[in-house]
Amino acid sequence: MRKKTLFKGSIAVSTAAILAAGVLGTPARAADPVTITIWTFGDVIQRQLVQEYKNLHPEITLQIKKSDLDPLNGTNMVTACTSKTGPDIVAVEVQYSGYWRSYPKCFTDLRKMKTSEANVVAGVPAGKTALDFKKNYLPWRWEQGVGYDDSVIGFPTDVGGLEVAYRVDLFKKAGLPTERGAVGKLWPTWEKFISTGVKYNSKLSAADKKAGKGFIDNAGTLYAAIMNQGTEKYYKNDGTDSGKLVYDTNPQVKLAWDTTIKATEAGIGTRIGQYTSDWNIGMNKGTFATILAPAWMMDYIKQQAPDTTGKWDIADLPGGGGNQGGTQLTVPSYAQHSQEAYDFITWYLAPEQQLKVFKIYGLFPAASVLYKDAALLDYKDPFFNNAPVGKIYSEGVSKVKPIFEGKLQRAIDQAIGAGLGRVAAKKMTAAKSWAQVIVDIKKVINN
Amino acid sequence: MSQLKVKEGRRKAPLSPWKSANPKKSAKAAKPIEGVASLDHRFGIPFIAPFFVIFLIFGLAPVLYSIYISFYKWDPLGGSTFNGVQNFVTLWSDSDFWLAIRNTFSIWALSTFPQMAMAIGLAAILRSKRLRAASFWRTIFLVPNITSVIAITIVFQQLFGRDFGIINGILGLFGADHIDFIEGVVPSHIQIASMITWRWIGYNTLIFLASMLAIPDELYESASVDGATKWQQFIYVTLPQLKNTITFVLVVGTIGGLQVFAEPQQLDPSGGSSKQFLTLTLFLYNQAFVNNKYGYAAAIGIAITVIVLIISTINFLITRRISNDGSRR
Repeated sequence: MRKKTLFKGSIAVSTAAILAAGVLGTPARAADPVTITIWTFGDVIQRQLVQEYKNLHPEITLQIKKSDLDPLNGTNMVTACTSKTGPDIVAVEVQYSGYWRSYPKCFTDLRKMKTSEANVVAGVPAGKTALDFKKNYLPWRWEQGVGYDDSVIGFPTDVGGLEVAYRVDLFKKAGLPTERGAVGKLWPTWEKFISTGVKYNSKLSAADKKAGKGFIDNAGTLYAAIMNQGTEKYYKNDGTDSGKLVYDTNPQVKLAWDTTIKATEAGIGTRIGQYTSDWNIGMNKGTFATILAPAWMMDYIKQQAPDTTGKWDIADLPGGGGNQGGTQLTVPSYAQHSQEAYDFITWYLAPEQQLKVFKIYGLFPAASVLYKDAALLDYKDPFFNNAPVGKIYSEGVSKVKPIFEGKLQRAIDQAIGAGLGRVAAKKMTAAKSWAQVIVDIKKVINN
Repeated sequence: MSQLKVKEGRRKAPLSPWKSANPKKSAKAAKPIEGVASLDHRFGIPFIAPFFVIFLIFGLAPVLYSIYISFYKWDPLGGSTFNGVQNFVTLWSDSDFWLAIRNTFSIWALSTFPQMAMAIGLAAILRSKRLRAASFWRTIFLVPNITSVIAITIVFQQLFGRDFGIINGILGLFGADHIDFIEGVVPSHIQIASMITWRWIGYNTLIFLASMLAIPDELYESASVDGATKWQQFIYVTLPQLKNTITFVLVVGTIGGLQVFAEPQQLDPSGGSSKQFLTLTLFLYNQAFVNNKYGYAAAIGIAITVIVLIISTINFLITRRISNDGSRR
C-alpha cells in the first residue's frame, strides 16, 4: 500500500520536475560523472539503497570506505580537517558528536546548502536547506548534528532507541510474567529492575548458577541507559560553546553510577562483555535472560542467535525512554562534491528511505514523521515474538530529551566505563574505583 | 645471519659498483658483469634518491615535527600553546606511563623467550632429515604471519573466553575454576603474548632453520665420532652456532615487542579496566586520538625512543661481547 502511494507521488513530482527542468533548461547536469567518497562503518550505508541510488543516478559512483582500526573515523577525520582534504561524506557516530559539535569549522554548514533538482524525481524537493528538513526528524537527534555555533553539520540516520529484549521461555521458567505489557510493569524503575533480576537469579538451579547464568548480560550496560535518560551528562550548557564541566556535581552521574554499582553488587549480571564470543554464545544458550537492546542490536541478535527465533520479546525500558548509539551523516568542509553529497544525504535520509532501511536491517529511523506512519507502527517482528517493535521503539525514543554533550564526553565515558569494570571484576571497591575515575578524568581534562 | 653468509658476502663485495674505487677500470677487467660495474656514480644518485626522499618525508620530518609539538599543548583543531617541558614533567609523574612500561616489558618477555625456545625446537624438527614433506611444513609455518591481527584477536578471544573459551573448558574438566583472562594482569599478558607468539613463531622458526642449515655437517660428524648423543649435539653444536641468530631474533623481537598495539587495542581499546594491558604505544594512541592531547602523545613518543635507545645500547654491548667470545675461540 505504501509503495502505491509513493509511486503516485513520484509520478506527480516527476512531472513537475520535467516541467521545471524544461523551464530552467538544466538537464545537462546529469551527464557529468561524479564519484562521491563516503567514510562510514557498519551498515550505516546500506547496499540495497546504494544500488537504488545508482539506478536513479547512473552518473554517480558511491565509493564507500570503512576502516578497521579507526572504525568511527575519529582519527581520520581529524587528519582530514587538519590537512584540508577529505571525503565528501563522513558518518559520525554519536560517541563523537560532542567532539565534532565543538569543531563546526570541519564541516560544511548544511544551512547554506540547497538541494538541486537532481532528486526531485525521487521526492526530494529542490532548493531546500537543512533547516527545511529539520521538522522531519526527532528534535534531540537533530541537535546531535548541530554545531555549538548553531551551524548544521549533519543529518541523523538512525536512532538507537533502547528497550529491554527478554527471553520469554526463561522468564516463564523463572515464574515471571511473560506478556510484554506485564513484563514492562515489573520494572517501572531501575530499582524494580534490579529486584526483578535478584528474583530471577534466586530461581536458577545450582547447576545454572555454576555455569554463570544470570538475569542480564552485563550490569554495566545500565550506566549508559540511565545517563541518557537525563537532560545533562558531563557538561552543563551555560551558553558558551564549550559548556561547563559538571561530571563531579551532576546528580544524574551519581545516580547512574550508584544504580549500576547496586546492580553489579546484587549480581544480576553475568559480566559477559558485549560483542565478545562469550556473549554471542550466551545469547544462544540462554546464559542471560535480558539485554538492554538498542534498536540496531535487533539485527545483531537475529544474526548471532538464529535458533532462538520467537523466544525473544521486547519490553519497555525502566525509567522511561532510552537511547544508545546512532549516526550523523556529515559533509566535511573540504569535500570536493559537496552539492552531490548533500543531494545524496537528503535523499538517503528522507523518511521513505529510512523506512526501507528499518525494514531491511532494523535500523530505527530518526525521521520522527514516520512515528505516526502506519507502516512503522504496525510493523511486527516474528523473531521477537511478533512484538510491535516499531511502536515500542518509537514511543521510547520520543521520551528522550536533548543533551549538551561537550567535547570530552567520549573520554569521560571511557574512564567511567573502566571504573565500573574494576568494580565488576572485584578488583576495587566502588568508592575506591570512583576516586580513581575522578583522577583519570582530571588527567584527561588538565594539560 | 649466519657466519657462512657473511663470508660469502665479503667475497662478493667487489661486485658492488659503489665500493669499487675505479668503476670504469674494473668494468674492463671483469667482462661478464659489465652492465652493473660500468655504472657511473652520477647515475647512482637517482637510484637511491627515492629511498632518501621517502625517508625524509615519512621518516625524518615526522620525527622532527613530533619533537617540536612535544613542547606544546597541541590540538590540531583547537590551536596550540607553548608548554615548555611540562609534557615531560607530567609524563614522569603519570602512573599510567610506568604501568604501560611494566605491561610492555612483561608482554615482551612472555612473548619473546618461550617463543624463541619453541622456534629453535621447531627448527630442529624441520631440519631433521627424517621429516617428510619438509617444504610443506616450512611454508605452512608462515601462514600465521600473514593473518590479520584483528582476525587473530577474534579467534584468541574465543580460545581465552571466560565462560565458553576452550582453555577454560579444558581447565574446567580438571575441576579448576575459570580464569578471567582479560581481567587479570598476568593472564591478560599471557593471552596477548600467545597471540604474538602464534603470529611470529613460524617466521622465527624459519630464521633459525636457515641458520641451522648453514652449520657445516662436519661439526655433527665429528661430534658423533666423539660419541655425542643427538641431545648433546644440539646443546654443544647447534646452540653455540646459533648465537648470532639468537641475538638477531632478540633484537627484532624487542623492536616488535615495544610496538605491541593492535592486539591489546582489539581486546579493549582502553587497555583493560585497570589498564592492566595498556602498552606504551596504546597509551600514546589513546592520549592523542581519544583524549586529543597530541603534544603529550608526542612526549610519550620521545620517551619510547629513549627507551629503545637504551635497549639498543644494551643489545649492542651484548652482541659485541658475543662476537668477541667467538673470535677468541
